[in-house]
Amino acid sequence: MNYPVWELYYLNSGTVVAIIAILHVFISHFAVGGGIFLWLTDLKSVRENNLPLREYVRRHLWFFLLVTMVFGGVSGVGIWFSIALSNPAATSLLIHTFVFAWAIEWVFFIVEIVSLLIYHYRFEVLSNKQRLTIAFIYALSAWLSLFVINGILTFMLTPGEWLNTRNFWDGFFNPTHLPGLFFRTSICIMFAGLFGFVTALYQKDEKLKVTLLRYCAKWLYIPLPFLFLSAVWYFSSLPESARFTNFVLNKQTQNPLNVFLFSSVLIYIVAILFVLKTNKIIQKVALIPLLLIGLFWIGSFEYLREYARKPYIIYGYMYSPSIIVTDAEKLNKEGFLKHAKWTKIKEISEENKIQAGRELFNLQCLSCHTIGGVKNDIIKKTEGLTYLGIVSQIYGQGKVLDYMPKFVGTEREIEALASFIVSLRGKKEEPHAEFTPKEEPVFIPSFDPKKDEYVLLVWSVLGEKCITDSDRWFSFLYAGSTLQALLIKRGVKPEIITEGVEIHYIPPRGHENPSKYLDFWKYSESLRGKKIPGNVGVSGKTVRGVFDFDKDRKIFIADAVPVSPYSDDGAFNPYPIFDAKAIEKSTGKVLQQTRFVVPVSTELRCFVCHGGKPRFNGISGISDETAINILKIHDRNHGTKLYENALKGKPMMCQKCHEDFIVKSEGIKGHNSFSASMHGWHANYVPYKDERACNFCHPNDAKGNTRCNRDIHTKLGIGCTRCHGKLDDHAASVLLAQKDSRTASILLKNLKPETPIEKINPRKPWVNQPDCLSCHIGFTKPSADANGFNKWTSDFGTLYRVRMDNTGKIPCTACHSSPHAVYPAFNDFGKNRDNIQPMQYQGNPFPIGADMKCEVCHKVKIQGTGHHADILKMFRNRKALQQ
Amino acid sequence: MMDAISLIPYAEAVPVPPLILIFLEQLFFLIHIILVNSILGVGLILLYKWKRTVDFFDINRPLARRIPIFFALAINMAIPALLFLQVVFGHLFYSSSVLMGTFWILIIPILIIAYYSSYFHYKKFGVSQYAKYSLILMISLVLYVAFILVNNLSMMEMPEKWSLYFSERGGTILLWSVSSIYPRFLHFIVASLAVGGIVYAFYFSKKSNSEKNAMDGIRIFAYATMVQMAVGVWFLVSLPESIMLKFMGRDSVATLVLVAGIGTAVLSVILAFKNNLKGTLIFLLITLIAMVINRYNLRIFSLEDKFSPTSLEISPQWDVFVLFVVILLIGVGVLFYMVKISFKGKEEAK
Repeated sequence: MNYPVWELYYLNSGTVVAIIAILHVFISHFAVGGGIFLWLTDLKSVRENNLPLREYVRRHLWFFLLVTMVFGGVSGVGIWFSIALSNPAATSLLIHTFVFAWAIEWVFFIVEIVSLLIYHYRFEVLSNKQRLTIAFIYALSAWLSLFVINGILTFMLTPGEWLNTRNFWDGFFNPTHLPGLFFRTSICIMFAGLFGFVTALYQKDEKLKVTLLRYCAKWLYIPLPFLFLSAVWYFSSLPESARFTNFVLNKQTQNPLNVFLFSSVLIYIVAILFVLKTNKIIQKVALIPLLLIGLFWIGSFEYLREYARKPYIIYGYMYSPSIIVTDAEKLNKEGFLKHAKWTKIKEISEENKIQAGRELFNLQCLSCHTIGGVKNDIIKKTEGLTYLGIVSQIYGQGKVLDYMPKFVGTEREIEALASFIVSLRGKKEEPHAEFTPKEEPVFIPSFDPKKDEYVLLVWSVLGEKCITDSDRWFSFLYAGSTLQALLIKRGVKPEIITEGVEIHYIPPRGHENPSKYLDFWKYSESLRGKKIPGNVGVSGKTVRGVFDFDKDRKIFIADAVPVSPYSDDGAFNPYPIFDAKAIEKSTGKVLQQTRFVVPVSTELRCFVCHGGKPRFNGISGISDETAINILKIHDRNHGTKLYENALKGKPMMCQKCHEDFIVKSEGIKGHNSFSASMHGWHANYVPYKDERACNFCHPNDAKGNTRCNRDIHTKLGIGCTRCHGKLDDHAASVLLAQKDSRTASILLKNLKPETPIEKINPRKPWVNQPDCLSCHIGFTKPSADANGFNKWTSDFGTLYRVRMDNTGKIPCTACHSSPHAVYPAFNDFGKNRDNIQPMQYQGNPFPIGADMKCEVCHKVKIQGTGHHADILKMFRNRKALQQ
Repeated sequence: MMDAISLIPYAEAVPVPPLILIFLEQLFFLIHIILVNSILGVGLILLYKWKRTVDFFDINRPLARRIPIFFALAINMAIPALLFLQVVFGHLFYSSSVLMGTFWILIIPILIIAYYSSYFHYKKFGVSQYAKYSLILMISLVLYVAFILVNNLSMMEMPEKWSLYFSERGGTILLWSVSSIYPRFLHFIVASLAVGGIVYAFYFSKKSNSEKNAMDGIRIFAYATMVQMAVGVWFLVSLPESIMLKFMGRDSVATLVLVAGIGTAVLSVILAFKNNLKGTLIFLLITLIAMVINRYNLRIFSLEDKFSPTSLEISPQWDVFVLFVVILLIGVGVLFYMVKISFKGKEEAK
C-alpha cells in the first residue's frame, strides 16, 4: 500500500519471482557445492597425480563458470529485482534491516567471482598449490555467501526474537537458520554430484568416465542422510501454527509436497543409471530428465518453504500483500484505501465502486492471484460464487484457512472488491425472482361438540422439515416427515385411545409421488447404504399409510413419511394439507377426521452464494450447478473427492463423516458434528450475523418461498436470534460442545459472539435447544426483554417437540402444534392453514383448550390446571390476530 | 493529477548516517560505470575496427577475452552500488522501478544473453563470422540496459512524473517526454567511447610494437571527450531551468565541481593529444569523480522539495557496519593476494 503495484494480470509478479528464483536456486546451490567439488577433486588429482582427472576438473570448471557465474550470478540479481517489483515493502525491510549482511555477502561474492576467474583463466599457469588455494578460496567464499543469504531467507520464515527486539542478530540467527544451513549445504553437495554427471558423461576415456560417474554418484548419495535429518530438523523448527496452517489446512501444499517427495525418490533412482554400466545412449538420454527432476525437486522445496510462511511475507510481521500486521486493525476501522498511497480512489462511491475494487485487488490480491492468468486465477477461484458468495469469501478469508491473509479494510471495501471480481466475468448477475405464495382457502372439517365423541389431533414433529434435493451430488436431509397423532375420547374425564383404532394419513392430490421430483431413492444405496424402494421412507412408511402406536410414548407415530413440496401441477407447496382419519378397527367406523399441514421445504438458498438457480422451476431447491460448486469447494478445502465420487454415481450423506443426532449418524471421530461444521464454517464467512444470515440456509426469508417462522412469536416480532442467538453465538454454542475435534477451535477463534465466549453454554445440536420455559417461566407471560439464547433444554426429553404435559399423556405439540408454527400461526399460503384443528374443534386459532375451552375434550369447564400451570385464562395476544 | 509528494512512500530508518551510505553507493558506482564504459567502449572500438587490418584478430583477441571479465566485475560492482542506493533512496527507487517494471525485469534475461554473447564473441573471435554478430548483439543489449537504467534513475528523481502510473500500470512507462533523457543517455554512450579508447590505449601501451593501436585508442578518447563536452552542455540545458542554474552559479559547490570536472576533462584531452597516457588517465579519473558528484548533485536538486537524505531516521547498527568493514578489508586483502599469486604464477610459468 506504500508502493505502486506492477499490474500484471496474466503473469503476476509473484510468478515472475518464482520463475527466476527457482532457476537461480538450482544453479546457485550447484555454485556452492560445485566449488567444493572442484576443490576436492582437484586436490584428489594432485594427491594421486592423476592428470586425466585434472583435465576433467579443467573441463568441468569451464562448464561451471558458464553456468554459475553467468546464469547463476545474473539470476541472483534477478531475484532481487523481481522481489523489489513484486513486494517493494518487504524488500525494503530486508534491505534496511540487513544492508550490511547483504554487503558482506557481496564481499564474498566478489571474492568468489575473482577467484573463479583466476581459477579458470590461470588454471594452467598456476602451481598446484596456488591453484588449490584459489579453488579453496572459491569454495569457502561461495559457502559463506550461502551462509549469509540463508540467514536472511530464514529470517522471513522465522524472524524469532527479532519481532520483539528488532535486533539484527536476533533476526539473522533465527530459529531455522542452522537447520536451513545444514539442509542447503546438503543440497549443494548433492547438486555438485548431479551436475558432475553432465561433464563426466562427455568424458571420452571410457575407464575414466566410469570412475567419474561413480565418483559423482558418491557426491549425490553421501549427503542423503544429512539431507533427510536436516529436513526433519528444518520442518520441526517451524512454528507449530505455520505447520498446521500450511501443511494441514492448506491442501494446495499437497501438490508441491508430492512433487518434492516423488522427485526425491526419482533422483536417486535415475542416478543409479549412471552408476551401473548401462548403455551410453540411455545415460545421455537420462541426463536431461535427471537435471529436470533436480530442478523440480528444488523448485518444490522452495515452494514449500514459501507456502510455510503464509499468510506472511515476513512471518508474524508483514502479510503477503505488504500490510504490517499491527496496522490491520486501524485499516479495518478507518479504511484501507484511505491510507494507501498508490490508489486513485480514497473514498468509495456507487460510481467508483468497481475501480475501487480494482485498486484493492491490485494492492491486496495481485501478489498471489492473477486475472485469467497462470496462477491462482481469481476468475476460476471464484467460479460459481455469486456477488454475495464473493463478499462472504473475502469476509471470511484468512479466518479459518489462515494461509491466506485476512482482507484488510472496511465492509464497503469488501463490497467494492467483490464488485470488481464479479465485473471480470463480463456478465451481470440476474436477480432472483421474488416468490408470491398462492393464498388458498383452507377447508376446515366439521366438528359437532354435542355429537362428536372423539377429538383427533395430528401434527408434524417439525415445524418445517427441510429436504436437500441435490441427491445426485450430496444429501444431508432426505424426505421423511415424522407425524404424530393423538385420539381422545371426549368426556368429563377424557380418555386417550391407544388401541382398537387405526389412524390413517392421506396426502393431498399432486403430492403422492415424491420420487418423481426427488432422486433420493435413485441414490439411496450410496446415501443410506441400502436400496430403498421409491416413495418409501427410511423407516418403511409410504406416502399414504397408517400410524404406528408408540408404546413408550403412548401416542401414534408415522416415522419418516416421504413428503415433497413439489406438486404435480408444477406449484411449490411447502404446506401440503394431509387428511387424517381415526377408524375403529372392529367396525370400520370413522371416529373422527381432521386435516393437518405437513410442512416441508427445499428452500435452502445455497445458490445465494454458491451460484446457480433453484432446481424446481426456478423456485426452490439445490440445482446441479449449486451443488457442484459446494462439492468442489469442500474438496478443495478438505482434500475430499466428493465431486469425483458423485460423478461416478456415488454421492454421499454429509453426515457419514459429520455426526448428526437427527439422522442418527455417528460420523467420523475427530470431525465436527454436522451442525457445528455448517454453522461454524459459515459463521466465519457470512458477513451478516442477524436473521439475514439464518435465512440464507433456513427457509424463512420474508420474500422466500416458505416463510417457515409463521407463529405468534414472529407476529410479535420475535425472530430466530432471540432464541437461537445470532450466528456467531449460535455457532459458538455448538462448536464449544465439540470434543476430540482439532478444528472446532479454529472455527471458533475468529467468531465474535455477543455473549462472551466463556459464558456460552455448550450444546448438542437437536438435543440442547432453546427451552420455551426459560422465557415463559412457569407458563406465564415472558418479560419484554426475555431471551431464550443460552438456556438450553437439558436433554432430549425436555425438548418442546418431545415434552409432555403434567399428566404425562399429552405432548405439548398436540395442543400447541409444531415448533415455529404454534397456534395461532399465520401462514401466507392460506389463512388458518396451520390452525385447522383449533378452528375445527373450538372455532378459534388458539391452542387447543385456550380461552378455557376445556370442553373440546372434557365436554365441561374444568377448574384445575392439570395440564400445566397458568392454563386457565384467555389467550393473551389477541391484537396480533388483527394485524 | 495526484500530488507528487503524496505518492512518495514512507522511508525506513537507516542503520548508519546516510552520508556513509551515499559515499559507498557513489564509490561502487564509479567502479561499476568505468567497467560498463569499458565493455561498451571496447566493444564499439572492436566493431569499428573489425577486420580493417590483416592481423585484426591476433591483435585484438586479448581484448575480446577481457570483455566477459569486465562483464563479471561490472555486474558485481553494480550490486553494492544498487544496495546502498536502496538504503537511502529505496522508497523512490522501488516506486520508479515498478513504473517501468516490465522493462526493468527484462534487464535480467537481456543481461544473461549479453553476457553469454560476450563469451561467444571471445570464443569464436576470428573463428566464426557469428562473433561479429554476437558483438553487435552484446552492444545492443548493453545499450538497452543502460537506457532503462537512465530512465529508472531519472524517474526516481522525478516523483512529479509518477502520476503517469494511473494511466499505465503495466510497468511500461519510460520517460520519452523528458528532454534530458536523451543527452543523459548519449552522455553515457560517448563516455563509454572515451573510456573504451583509454582502455584500448592502455592495453596496447603495454604491448610492444603496438604504438599505432595505443595512439588510436587515445585519439578515440580525445575526440569522444570533446564530443562529450557538447553533449554535456546539451544535457545541462535540457535540465529544468532552476536545476540548470544551480550548476551555473546558483549553487557554488555544484558549480565548482562541474567546472572542475570540465577543467580536468579539457586537461585530459590536451594531454591525450600529447600522447601522455598517464596524465590523461589521472585527469580522466578526476573528471569521472567530479561527474559522479555532479550526478549526485542533480539527484539532490531534483528531489529538493520532496526528499532529503538528511531527513532519514537512523536506527544504528554500528556493530554490523564494523563487521562489514572488517570483512571488506579482509576481502580486498584476499583479492590482492589472489591477483598477486595469479601474476606470480604467470612469472613462474615464464
